[in-house]
Amino acid sequence: MDLGLGGSNSSPPRPKWRKVAYGGMQPGYNDNHTDETFLEGMVMNASVVKRDMLKVMLDSVSISEYLCIVALVVLVWTYTLSSSLDENSLLLIDLSLLVSGFLILLFTQEMLSLTLLLHYALNISFFITGLYVLAPIYQTLTRSISSDSIWAVTVSLLILHLFLHDYSESTVKAPGVLKNPALTSCISVNASVVASVFIASRLPSRLHVFAIMLFSLQVFLFAPLVTYCIKKYSFCLHLCFSISLMVLTLSFVYTLHRFLFVLLLSLLVFVNLVCPYWLIRIQEYKFEINGPWDEAKLCFDITD
Amino acid sequence: MGNDDPGGKHRILMVSDFFYPNFGGVENHIYYLSQCLLNLGHKVVVATHAYGNRSGVRYMTGGLKVYYVPWRPFVMQNTFPTLYGLLPIIRTILIRERITVVHGHQAFSTFCHESLMHARTMGYKVVFTDHSLYGFADIGSIHMNKVLQFTLADVTQAICVSHTSKENTVLRSGLPPEKVFVIPNAVDTSMFTPAVDRPRTLEEIVIVVISRLVYRKGVDLLVEVIPEVCQLHPNVRFIVGGDGAKRVRLEEMREKHSLQDRVEMLGAVPHAQVRSVLISGHIFLNSSLTEAFCIAILEAASCGLLTVSTRVGGVPEVLPDDMVVLAEPDPSDMVYAIQKAIYMLPKIDPQDMHNRMRELYDWNDVAKRTEIVYDRALKCSNQNLLERLSRYLVCGAWAGKLFCLVMIVGYLFWQLLELWQPADDIEEVLDFTLPHNHEDEILENAQ
Repeated sequence: MDLGLGGSNSSPPRPKWRKVAYGGMQPGYNDNHTDETFLEGMVMNASVVKRDMLKVMLDSVSISEYLCIVALVVLVWTYTLSSSLDENSLLLIDLSLLVSGFLILLFTQEMLSLTLLLHYALNISFFITGLYVLAPIYQTLTRSISSDSIWAVTVSLLILHLFLHDYSESTVKAPGVLKNPALTSCISVNASVVASVFIASRLPSRLHVFAIMLFSLQVFLFAPLVTYCIKKYSFCLHLCFSISLMVLTLSFVYTLHRFLFVLLLSLLVFVNLVCPYWLIRIQEYKFEINGPWDEAKLCFDITD
Repeated sequence: MGNDDPGGKHRILMVSDFFYPNFGGVENHIYYLSQCLLNLGHKVVVATHAYGNRSGVRYMTGGLKVYYVPWRPFVMQNTFPTLYGLLPIIRTILIRERITVVHGHQAFSTFCHESLMHARTMGYKVVFTDHSLYGFADIGSIHMNKVLQFTLADVTQAICVSHTSKENTVLRSGLPPEKVFVIPNAVDTSMFTPAVDRPRTLEEIVIVVISRLVYRKGVDLLVEVIPEVCQLHPNVRFIVGGDGAKRVRLEEMREKHSLQDRVEMLGAVPHAQVRSVLISGHIFLNSSLTEAFCIAILEAASCGLLTVSTRVGGVPEVLPDDMVVLAEPDPSDMVYAIQKAIYMLPKIDPQDMHNRMRELYDWNDVAKRTEIVYDRALKCSNQNLLERLSRYLVCGAWAGKLFCLVMIVGYLFWQLLELWQPADDIEEVLDFTLPHNHEDEILENAQ
């Protein structure tokens, strides 16, 4: 086979091997010749990020913060179900949460415009009216089902909710954000809403149902948004807020049940200390290979 | 190594899910390789799964015998993986045809993997050709690589179509590099000749794209590149052949930039008409995001077109630097490369290019080089089951044991078949040779 094309392959003893597929078998070399340039283009662990223990620990705080928020919601549910929290105080909690959340949003977002305020107020009034109208339906929804099964379903739904929750952002976006939430975070939000409906349906009066539904929905839908805004505004504030929330939750749980307290405490320790350490440890085993055989990535966004 | 002893004619079984009437690079490769091996005096039999009502034994040009095993494709022309379902029929074919070497093609063909496994169980020498590239990151690739590792753990020799593909295969399967040969594809230059009757004018430059219009072929790059090139060069026209999920994107682009008169969409082009599309153009544009070896580029170059391609996978190895303009898979770089190609165009002589392609690529050469691999494979020592099991065991903590179990069960199944239907009871077929003039006709241009 002729190989007289391009390159200095005419030197008599043994022309240099070239990494080409054309021109038939290269003279002096078998097809299974492995050159020293073999695997030259391979890159190992190119995109591996060196992680810092402290940074990972601080980042994991947002997970434990949300765990505490959910724990607080469950606490309120249990107190309400055991009638140690009446509907008036529940409504008071709702109102204070609404106002404080609103204020936090306004301060951190830095966009105090009257139209936006009006827009919010209108939406919230629609939301509350709808909920109030639907309360009687929720109240009788699961009358024929035993409380045990409801609790079991609720717990599993909450676990699903926590498992699929989007801890990096909030599913409910501030107005004007274009990106749609992922499917898993939508499932997560829906699981929490269903759990709230189930719990509300075990309550004695319509006002109870309304108050607890309003409370749960406020927390599940808007707490991630509020904490996200705080985190974006100032990380220090976020840390303070999270730690005080953790302390508050732990003390409440402690008064409720010792075992649950130990459980929550170990969960928080696991999330904040063990998991970051674990992540750093398993980084050593990371083995990533890249090379010319990889599918090229497009450097622009495809807008379908 | 090149010339084998006169008695050393092989009896080869090609196995793959992909064969005619399906069409693609692998099908083409098996067909041409088989034809040229037949020409060299070897016996070649192809086994594939049934296509529609095409089931049973068929003969193709040059007496190429094809077994369409009555086994329905399950997804993407692949048979359903059953591990042992194919053993009886593959065993019968191997014994009937007195096969010496089994040659499997394509990493994602389940038919090929199963057949190779059974052939190894029965002690045949096995060669495997890998036609594609895989990454190491996504779940599909990780799974694929494990299956490949299983098949290649015990393969006698392996062939890759480009050096990049060899690097990839060695990494994925852990084979020693000296067992992996690089034998590229080729092109039937007699089928892809430049237009001789038509005078070539450069007043209007036609850029041809022929590929499946899917993500992996870089259609999204085309969507960015085509309007820009049309804007920069008012005398450029595009012809896009092919169909696929991303065709809509191209059509949208055409509407959006009102390029209906400058971008012609042909839809799927049958392989027989590829040449007539190619010769209507001056530049061939390939925008693949990954490619082990691009036959389309060879066909275009053989028709005398200057190629502009993305620099991915094995593409840089395919053509000498003066026959192709390479660009990074990035719209601006591709536009630049197309402009460079347009300036190079007056210096390109299609007939000269075609003649060079005839020197560079030849299926007969591919067949001769493959023959060497078969010779090597036959020289390898036979191994008993225990020795082979130890190779599987090192494939992974869990996978290794699983692979061993699969092989042991396969071995027992084979022994059972030997009792149930002894090899002596299977009738061997008679060999017959066709008069040679027929084959010479097909390949006379390639010689």
